Amino acid sequence: MLLDFDKLGGLKPFLIGLTALVCLFLILPIVFIAALSFGSSQWLIFPPPSWTFKWYQMLFADPRWLWSALTSLKIAAIVTVLSVILGFLAALGLNRGSFAGREALRALFLTPMILPVVVLAVALYALFLQLGLAGTTVGFIIAHLLIALPFSIISIGNALEGFDKSIEDAAILCGASPWEARIRVTVPAVSHGIFAAAIFSFLASWDEVVLAIFMASPTLQTLPVKIWATLRQDLTPVIAAASTILIAFTILLMVLAALFRKGRKA
Amino acid sequence: MVLSATTDGGERKIRRNGSFGYVVPALLLIAFFFIIPVLMLLMRSVLEPTPGLQNYQELLGSTTYLRVFLNTFTVAGLVTVVAVVIGFPVAWLLAIMPDKWSRLVMAIIVLSMWTNLLARTYAWMVLLQRTGVVNKMLMSLGIIDKPLALVNNLVGVTIGMTYIMLPFVILPLIGILKAIDPAILRAAALCGANKRQCFTRVLLPLSLPGIASGALMVFVMSLGYYVTPALLGGTSNMMLAELVAQFVQSLVNWGMGGAAALVLLLVTMVLYAIQLKFLNPNRAR
Repeated sequence: MLLDFDKLGGLKPFLIGLTALVCLFLILPIVFIAALSFGSSQWLIFPPPSWTFKWYQMLFADPRWLWSALTSLKIAAIVTVLSVILGFLAALGLNRGSFAGREALRALFLTPMILPVVVLAVALYALFLQLGLAGTTVGFIIAHLLIALPFSIISIGNALEGFDKSIEDAAILCGASPWEARIRVTVPAVSHGIFAAAIFSFLASWDEVVLAIFMASPTLQTLPVKIWATLRQDLTPVIAAASTILIAFTILLMVLAALFRKGRKA
Repeated sequence: MVLSATTDGGERKIRRNGSFGYVVPALLLIAFFFIIPVLMLLMRSVLEPTPGLQNYQELLGSTTYLRVFLNTFTVAGLVTVVAVVIGFPVAWLLAIMPDKWSRLVMAIIVLSMWTNLLARTYAWMVLLQRTGVVNKMLMSLGIIDKPLALVNNLVGVTIGMTYIMLPFVILPLIGILKAIDPAILRAAALCGANKRQCFTRVLLPLSLPGIASGALMVFVMSLGYYVTPALLGGTSNMMLAELVAQFVQSLVNWGMGGAAALVLLLVTMVLYAIQLKFLNPNRAR
């Protein structure tokens, strides 16, 4: 009765109403930011008095915004590649191996995801100051890789769980070398997991704020660091424009992922 | 696992010895850039400026820092309660509503979850400011006469953090609620239970492990949050993560920074251990 949608009775309008409100609560701020980025009001008055591309022009006219976006892209791309490779190997080891402490190791690999990221950020910052890696691209990549890797291990690990290993063995029996079998049989078979790992790793790096704040230098900033630094001064609509671009990018990746899933099912 | 056990023993041995090698690159990364730096930071908390526990004495003995702890737990607790109270009915409906509609709601939840954290926080800074939409709406509806202070205080942090944490309550709960057999509720109704009794005696107790697990997760995640409290909260309600960052960035006091980080780390680990031991829904079965 309570778990039958058609027999909820008086509860039904209540649940539907509340869910609709929560949906509005979740979606409106995002819509609002996108709308304001085209609004003409410097003080972010809503609804805007008129519409304009002014903030986007300001955004693209300032080389520091552009430069930080390129830095973000570059770091995220490198982190994605490394995360997928390390994640594939680690997932393979955890999935196939029977060495002692496998479960503990799996838990260890996932810890950076659940730990307060500020602790990791401060600890890495201290180490990088000593190693001379603070404010370098390498430092950024290492930091972002730490939080991207758990996503890869989970996504590829799940895909490997569903893959029948005897198919790989069959390829080996047919004369393939173990690595040839892995690359030409296993990798394509778990490609959906690899794809998910790539998207999650990219987004984890692209969106990372806290680690990035500590890794950044005045000359090396990712987009979120630039937004953070600007936000601390004022709420200029240029940030709305930058945020809208970030959101558009996220939606694009999500649609890609959904299309990919659909394509696999068909 | 079962399949590999049926293959030839010698071949299996080779593969077993080899498979540890696969985890080595990831293990090296974690060891050098996660375990070692965290341990080094914790060492500094007992070594700087002089060896001893004076950093911890100062941290746990002063009312200034005690207020930060108190505030951290207050915000995390408030956010957890609000997110669970709002999130449970939504998850309930999502678990039973037709697929067509639940897919739309899920898309909205996932979109908000993957939207950049700063973009979401910025949205709330603008929405909640004195001349913002929320204040204007409340004023035009005649609920208030003059703008309320909604940012740089507890209200702002709670709204911004609840916004972020809601998906983490809703998503796991859907699975828990879907796993409950509707026949149990029909049986309760047949035995004469009214709707309220069905809810409080059957549905709620059955979903309680999921609620507790989700609530604890949200509580722990909220404890360590930095960005949203720093932007939506005021100076008078600083949270622990901000304190850690402040010690390191503005005060360059690594001893105190390390001590505050250890406290945050310990609380997080203890709560996660409780989660794994008592509230893991996979293990309860």
